[in-house]
Amino acid sequence: MACGPLPLTTLKGGRSIDQFVQAIINGIMLGGFYAAMMLGFSVIWGVMGVINLAHGEFVMVGAYLTWLMSDGAGIDPFVAILLVFPIMFVFGYVLQRVLINRIVDRPHLVALLVTFGLSIIMANAVKLRYTATPRLTDTALSGVWNLYEGVTIPRTKTGILVVALLIMAGLHLFLHRTKLGKSIRAAAQNKQAARIVGIDVKKIYAITFGICIAITGVAGALISSTQAVFPFMGPPLTLRAFTITALAGLGSIPGALMGGITLGLVESFIGIYVEGIGTNLAIVASFALLWVILVTRPQGLFGGLRPAEEPQPL
Amino acid sequence: MSTATLSPTRSTMPLWRIGLMALVVASLVAMPLLRDQVGWITNSRLFSFTQMFMLIALASNWNLTGGFTGYVDFGHAVFFGIGAYGTGVLMHNGWEFPPALVAGAVFAGIYAVIVGYPTLRLKGPYFSIAMLGTFVAVREIVRVWKGVTGGGVGLTLPPYLNRVAFYYYTLAFALAVVAIMWWIRRSEFGASLIAIREDEIGAEMRGINTTVQKMTAFTVAGVLSGVVGGMWAYQNTFIDPDIVFIESRTIELVMMTMLGGLGTVLGPVIGAATIYWMRDVVWASFLDYHLIVEGALLIIIVLFIPRGIVGIFGDRSSTSLSELWGRSLGKDQAEKT
Repeated sequence: MACGPLPLTTLKGGRSIDQFVQAIINGIMLGGFYAAMMLGFSVIWGVMGVINLAHGEFVMVGAYLTWLMSDGAGIDPFVAILLVFPIMFVFGYVLQRVLINRIVDRPHLVALLVTFGLSIIMANAVKLRYTATPRLTDTALSGVWNLYEGVTIPRTKTGILVVALLIMAGLHLFLHRTKLGKSIRAAAQNKQAARIVGIDVKKIYAITFGICIAITGVAGALISSTQAVFPFMGPPLTLRAFTITALAGLGSIPGALMGGITLGLVESFIGIYVEGIGTNLAIVASFALLWVILVTRPQGLFGGLRPAEEPQPL
Repeated sequence: MSTATLSPTRSTMPLWRIGLMALVVASLVAMPLLRDQVGWITNSRLFSFTQMFMLIALASNWNLTGGFTGYVDFGHAVFFGIGAYGTGVLMHNGWEFPPALVAGAVFAGIYAVIVGYPTLRLKGPYFSIAMLGTFVAVREIVRVWKGVTGGGVGLTLPPYLNRVAFYYYTLAFALAVVAIMWWIRRSEFGASLIAIREDEIGAEMRGINTTVQKMTAFTVAGVLSGVVGGMWAYQNTFIDPDIVFIESRTIELVMMTMLGGLGTVLGPVIGAATIYWMRDVVWASFLDYHLIVEGALLIIIVLFIPRGIVGIFGDRSSTSLSELWGRSLGKDQAEKT
């Protein structure tokens, strides 16, 4: 609970410039992961207006799937992604049809409470089945590259960053270049007009939810090799997703990357420069950041899926 | 200020309801006295009731901001936590219980003023999540501030194991809180809060100083929850960040209030009592599943009985969720559909 998803290596006795470079490298890597992790949250909110408080639990389920594959069949987490994606897509699609569809056009509070109930159910169901013991997956992509004396680039985190960037690029192309993606954006911008031009909005919602949950599950697969996976890892991730959404604006992919890296840098600098209690303070900082952004700039720093001129629900 | 058009509700209560309430209160007061005569009343039963009284008080406080004013606070447990830690730290350093309790409540009130002023400018989900964020941040600060709070190890308080005394403390406090809520609901202040919930800009135009009214409600709720936290800490004799600051505590309060009826005086009382005893039953029969059942229950309440038990029986002051947030987000909702 108290540790960040990617434990930050605290340097002892290194030269200060090395620490600084290391903090930037760690921050960017953490930020890339955060960006991929929160995209699903932000797109679901942008497209259907549902604030998914069970977001972190979907990351957790993806991580557990990866652990099962890695532990049971020896599949490398980076390969397991290919299986996690379709499984989580089906999970998300069905969940949208069964439950989320009922709350789409209701006030935000309904969605908040229902998804919070969902998060309690998911976390405790996983705890019941697999106990609360922390799990970790093994990946062949381990170790570090020495950039130069005192500054290292962890291989696993580099792999995570690459996959995260691929996810973001893929989602961007999907939303802007394919017909389905354009339908999703149309439904986000104006549901009524989308219906008029013959888009099946309910189906679009289910597909959107499926894709977002699939991406979220993949983020869980990525995290599983660098952080202990346990049933109650979700809430801090959900809150980080919210922080970055507040920074980025709804459904904005470049915004997500910028917001993710901002948060990653903040957490990594605090983690490196504050001895001992840095990881706890990093969490405080991310929520303090969220609070400051919400109070000062509730419309986010970047434009998103919704048209810029539409006022945010404030 | 003038709130001529928003005259407070002064519906007369039927005699049988007054009688029923008097009967319930009288039997609750008499319960510990009959401990030797009735076998059902055990020490652990008294402890259960003590817990329930605290939840009733907390749910009523949450209802003041969430139900009356329409600001759904997802971090309300932070006041409970600050009260518990304020009282706990002072008693750990040799203070007596009463002054420590008051000091804990004052800390909660100061926190409410400092955080409430900027945060209450936010609306809808932004307010809710900002409060959740500050709640988690406070928990981590308590964990890190080892010199004062004992950090993750926690603090022990001087033990005082008198179940009957705590029963009466919490009963008296819960009754006081409900009385305060009842009075607020009928006062001009309460009418202003409901006006803010229904249409904040309209209320502002009517001459209600919405900032002052919201802040007052938020601070009153915070102070009262701080008192509950202090009592809880003394009763539990041990506090650490993870048992004091639990996210699920806030959500339980939301759930209880919603089951009973948002924005009503009796709703949180009925909701808290129902869920507390239901959980006792659920807990006893499926120890492992109780949280899963609770999550499912939350979803069912939200989807199927949004007006709550009191709402079903036609209390006009109750508010359904769709009314609560449908109005503050009226424009947004209208555009979407």
